[in-house]
Amino acid sequence: MKRAIPAVISAATALTLVLAGCGGGDEPVDPNAPVTITLAGWSLSSTPEFKTLADGFKATHPNVTVELKEYAAGNDYDTQMITDLAAGTAPDVYVMKNLKNFYTYQSGGQLLDVSDATSGLDSVPALASYQVDGKTYAAPYRQDSWVLFYNKDLFAKAKVAPPDGSWTWDDYTDAAKRLHTGLKGAGSNATGAYQHTFQSTVQGFALAQTPNADLLSGDFGYLKPYYERSLDLQAAGAQPTFGTAKTNKLTYQAQFGKQQSAMLLMGTWYVATLLNQRKSGDADTFQWGIAPAPQFDKSTTGTSATPVTFGDPTALGINPKISKSKTAAAKDFLKYAAGPEAGKALAGIGITPAQVTDAVTASLFGLDGVPQDDLSKFAYATHTIKPENPVSKHTAGLQNLLNETHSAILSDSKGVDAELSKAQSRAKNEVLNQ
Amino acid sequence: MSRNTVAGWSFILPNFVGFAALTLLPVAVLFYVAFTNWNVFGVAEWTGTANFRRMWNDASFWTALRNTVYYAVFHIPLTLAAALGLALLLNRKLRGVRFFRTIAFFPYITSIVAIAVVWNQLFSPEYGPINALLGAVGVDNPPGWTASATWSMPAVIIVGTWRYMGYYMLLFLAGLQTIPAQLYEAAETDGASPWQRFVHVTLPGLRHTTFFVTVLLTIESFKVFDLILVMTGGGPGQSTLVLSQYIYQKGFEENQFGYASAVSIVLFAICFGITVIQFMVNKRRNS
Repeated sequence: MKRAIPAVISAATALTLVLAGCGGGDEPVDPNAPVTITLAGWSLSSTPEFKTLADGFKATHPNVTVELKEYAAGNDYDTQMITDLAAGTAPDVYVMKNLKNFYTYQSGGQLLDVSDATSGLDSVPALASYQVDGKTYAAPYRQDSWVLFYNKDLFAKAKVAPPDGSWTWDDYTDAAKRLHTGLKGAGSNATGAYQHTFQSTVQGFALAQTPNADLLSGDFGYLKPYYERSLDLQAAGAQPTFGTAKTNKLTYQAQFGKQQSAMLLMGTWYVATLLNQRKSGDADTFQWGIAPAPQFDKSTTGTSATPVTFGDPTALGINPKISKSKTAAAKDFLKYAAGPEAGKALAGIGITPAQVTDAVTASLFGLDGVPQDDLSKFAYATHTIKPENPVSKHTAGLQNLLNETHSAILSDSKGVDAELSKAQSRAKNEVLNQ
Repeated sequence: MSRNTVAGWSFILPNFVGFAALTLLPVAVLFYVAFTNWNVFGVAEWTGTANFRRMWNDASFWTALRNTVYYAVFHIPLTLAAALGLALLLNRKLRGVRFFRTIAFFPYITSIVAIAVVWNQLFSPEYGPINALLGAVGVDNPPGWTASATWSMPAVIIVGTWRYMGYYMLLFLAGLQTIPAQLYEAAETDGASPWQRFVHVTLPGLRHTTFFVTVLLTIESFKVFDLILVMTGGGPGQSTLVLSQYIYQKGFEENQFGYASAVSIVLFAICFGITVIQFMVNKRRNS
């Protein structure tokens, strides 16, 4: 018995060494040999984009199978992914949901250099966000942008003119108030607008549209007019208060889909959600449309100008621990996912790909239930998209403190000025000096 | 080694290995990580006491510490009183007493997320029944509860007390049953009033239970996390941000595991220090 234990240990060690050696082999890769790469995704049963990408890639690369591995949805996704990467058990290809954590992955050495695979994708606007020192570390495959969804029926009921693409924020505020009065007069309980509790609904627009606004400067004065308009709308009863939305766990899907609010500022991903909810009965059937997000001033309004909005891209990166025999296939997959073919396929399920082309717009507006007016098509396809989370070591910390500032201002705050100056001094003392 | 020793070890070992791997080792690592700068990937960089010096000048850390103390100072006595009151009430031979005991224990086994959703709706400043009730009895300006920076902590303390009182009631009930009935009979024969019996028989009889409950409750209060996270997320602003949530934020959201570990050590030191003091006070009283 006593001799058996060392024997077992040495056998196990030898086996481990042999197995480890197999993974790192340098043998030439046969391009037609069957390969399986694993891909991380979330909520696989209700999020069809991963399967669409896997199936679409298989059609052109029959020898490569993309196997999906389910991760937590929401904020837990990054926690789980970071843990798996640190433990060496993460899939070959993984998704970066937003730009906030790209710095962590890239600076931590968790992304393979994919410059060669993405070299032909220069026209994809979001690619630049994933470039560090001239090298590219991820391929963006979807890029949502924030637009204004509106309910045409409720506008008609309130006898208010619907958006025409020329709105600044003052026009939006004015319309929300007139909708409030008009709907009340028509015997409806719906509010003029609904602003969800995300900090993005205020801060995202303020950062993207205000000239010279810079998150990393730690100077947050640019947020002031945007918060004042939100507070004004709350006080006028034109939108549910932040407290009501929080305590009653209001969802933007029900608020707009069940016609509780006439306007909703949201990302383009909501198109797919709304279409699905109509089919399942979770949303009513009504006339709706998409308009560009209201603008900082008149200079970017109108269909002859390019409106400015925000949205973070979603990208695919390659785990550096991938075995060498799979690297080529994984890079091909990234190239495919960020390219025009995958773009059309994604638009076909209501997802906005990283590059919106005419073919993509045609594919999305060919879906049953999508509005057909020209303004909706313009709003979907034309805009300058600024990132909500500029890539930096400090982004996560600044966004956390701005999230706290958001709830402080929109609840019974000590005033916009006081909260913003507190945020500025916290940014300086707690984040930017680290 | 005797047969008995081998048998003994074989019983303890699985549990101890689990404890060592899942608790002891991570705690030991934590004490190391607290003195480093580490973002999970790569090597932790030794920075000495930098994390602790940073904490000294970190206003958010002090806010979180203040809020934690605020929660504990109100939650501990309130829960203690509520649990003891419930235990005394349900220690009698009443009809359906088991049913009422179960009801009182119910909040403790209910999902914390469900609790948060329901209580948040009850507390809703505009539509909630609590403010409707306050309005009905003549309160003109009812509180904003979880939607207000001033009232969010009292709201959380109320729900925390409601949730945990059933568990501590159970401990008190067990304690009450160890007090000999003869003591009450003797006191009654001597003409002691119910209050005198409570002060001179019940409370001394419950001394050990009360001590045990207070220690558990103190540690639990300082470590409060899930209830606040699901009810208010630390907000509005930083009004309900507590230490354990601050640790989570710095560690898992901002990937500053070194700093998060340093704050954990402070939280550990607070819990440990207070527990030691409680044991010392208890020991002095016993002697």
